Amino acid sequence: MNNPDISRYHRQYLLPQIGEEGQRKISSSRVVVLGCGALGSILANHLARAGAGWMRIVDRDFVELNNLQRQVLFDEDDIRRNLPKAIAAKEKVEKINSSITVEALVVDVNYANIESLIEGTDLVMDGMDNFETRFVINDACVKNGLPWIYGGCIGTHGITMTIIPGKTPCLRCVFESAPPPELSPTCDTAGVLGPAVNIIASLQATEAIKFLSGNIQALNKTLYTFDAWTHEAKALKIENLHQKINCPTCGQKNFEYLKGEKGSRSASLCGRNAVQISRDEPLNLDFKDLAAKLKRVGEVTYNVFLLKFKTGEYEITLFPDGRAIIQGTHDIAQARTLYSKYVSV
Amino acid sequence: MNQAKKLIYFDNAATTFPKPQTVYDRMDQFIRSEAANPGRSGHRMAVEAEAVIDRARNEIAKLFGVKDPHRIVFTLNCTDALNMAIKGALENGGHVVSTQLEHNSVLRPLNALVKAGRISLTRVPHSKEGVVDPADIRKSIKKETRLVVMTHASNVTGSLQPVREIGKIVRETDAWFLVDAAQTAGCFPIDVEADAIDLLAFPGHKALFGPMGTGGLYVGPRVELSAWREGGTGGDSKSPTQPEELPFFLEGGTPNAVGIAGLSEGVRFILQEGLPMIRQHEFHLISRLREGLGAIPAVTLYGPMDAKHTTSTLAFNLKGVEPQEIGAILDQSFGIAARAGLHCAPMIHQSMGTYPAGCLRFSPGYFNTREEVDCAVQAIREIQKNFSNP
Repeated sequence: MNNPDISRYHRQYLLPQIGEEGQRKISSSRVVVLGCGALGSILANHLARAGAGWMRIVDRDFVELNNLQRQVLFDEDDIRRNLPKAIAAKEKVEKINSSITVEALVVDVNYANIESLIEGTDLVMDGMDNFETRFVINDACVKNGLPWIYGGCIGTHGITMTIIPGKTPCLRCVFESAPPPELSPTCDTAGVLGPAVNIIASLQATEAIKFLSGNIQALNKTLYTFDAWTHEAKALKIENLHQKINCPTCGQKNFEYLKGEKGSRSASLCGRNAVQISRDEPLNLDFKDLAAKLKRVGEVTYNVFLLKFKTGEYEITLFPDGRAIIQGTHDIAQARTLYSKYVSV
Repeated sequence: MNQAKKLIYFDNAATTFPKPQTVYDRMDQFIRSEAANPGRSGHRMAVEAEAVIDRARNEIAKLFGVKDPHRIVFTLNCTDALNMAIKGALENGGHVVSTQLEHNSVLRPLNALVKAGRISLTRVPHSKEGVVDPADIRKSIKKETRLVVMTHASNVTGSLQPVREIGKIVRETDAWFLVDAAQTAGCFPIDVEADAIDLLAFPGHKALFGPMGTGGLYVGPRVELSAWREGGTGGDSKSPTQPEELPFFLEGGTPNAVGIAGLSEGVRFILQEGLPMIRQHEFHLISRLREGLGAIPAVTLYGPMDAKHTTSTLAFNLKGVEPQEIGAILDQSFGIAARAGLHCAPMIHQSMGTYPAGCLRFSPGYFNTREEVDCAVQAIREIQKNFSNP
């Protein structure tokens, strides 16, 4: 942008940490928001208002009524118009700030397209809902030397971490692999508090503003967790993990998720409106625990060989190794969404 | 619950596994030290590579009773051969007779030609056991019938078709007889002369024990096909169009010589073991499997009751369990690889009443054992027990 009018950001650059120079940096920056659900819509809102000059919003889902409890950019009109989240978000943020450029992409984020989604940006914002895609993002960002800001929320509790490849530990330095499904609740099985997501996403957005305005030294160096219900906060020191452990991603530069070697596999099933999802490493699921988790949101039956879970028009049949047959769709991306919603990855 | 020890591979109707050791060895040796471009140059290596392909042609010709090996054309797979034959034979349209047993590799090209208004099509039905009546074929042939195309055995039920009788009927007319030998080439006798077959499409990677990416088409002397894939053939470079003699007419482009070297070894294995020996072993396995599964009350078997009338393939369902679920349970809890669903042949499932869920298919091969068959029967019993008393 050539000498743009930055007066609308006056209250922001009045901050001594930012200043006019910092604001100009923010205005000339390019960011990508991956996933535009609760976290993503708050991120897009903050970054648009803060004046991030160019923003790409990526999400494959459509706005649903049960999103409105926490996904601040959307309203009932978007549901009536059956809008994809990315498109609805673009419309809203363009109304908020017409001086920025917004690109909306209604696509699934996966190992095959992640590098093209983050290409040409300065910063990657995580608004995803599952660990597997975060490992894909982590691989792509470490490989391309792009900073990204991890955020996650469940129940009343949230977590965030800022990853600057080469300077801080990466996501896999901290989490070697995703926790098993019985131990990992999802928003769709355990619920989520709207304000808790707002807090975490606002912390992520603050990190983004720091980074984009050139305040690198001020970035969060911890794995920060916060419970909105109890106000309990923890800032786990993780600096010592950097380059001290043999991280497969930033240490060995073995980008297993980006190469598609790790991660779940999916295939449309012959003859049925169904998709099979299987895991790269077999689990040994405890159906009893899983049934207890899923009973709260649908009908569950199980025996030694399989567990069946019905919710709305979908039926998920889960096998002990974590493989699932998802009936009611032949769309692989949609089946993956359902899997991450109810089983978690 | 049985924990998976060694994988029991019961999906030989899709592709055979394992292959004879000589197939692996030959392909390794060929690509390391012999893989020049066959027939493209005069140097010793290229000449030798061409000779490897010629030997494969000879062996396959021997297996199918083909007198002139040049009439064997190598293709990418059986689907490629079927497309070459169907589209090549029907360039000027006409009437076609086919069956409801067919795989999508026959159904789809025919449906596309019908949709394009290029051909008219009569599909004859089949018996409850999945067998076509030759009289129905005879009734369907008209003056303008160009082609009768059918499978030698259903890939779902394994039911063998009376191709010899049908071949004789077609031979009395001006139509050509195209047989899809996907399920029989290598494990069931085929003689293009005695069976009166004009066009025989076969895969390399199934019972012929070759690798994937190989297959072939026999083109009989009654037939004239249009060119398929035009391009380099090695010889006759001056000709502005595809050379007219077989196999070059239909073999433009560098062939899968590594695959064909492996296929050649697979065919040699069959000729050495003896096809009757292979058939006998598979017959014993499938009879035992049919008997074992048939004794479980919740199991429904499809296809002919007597294994004499089938290939080594058995389709069944278990009451109260989706076929895809049985497939997944067998895979992970018992280490048995089998195929569930529609097996790319939707019409036969419609007529058997198993559409759209399909069924489960066990297809043991020459390298499977009696013990493995017993394990599979036991697995189905255990699954059945758990679903009747959840």
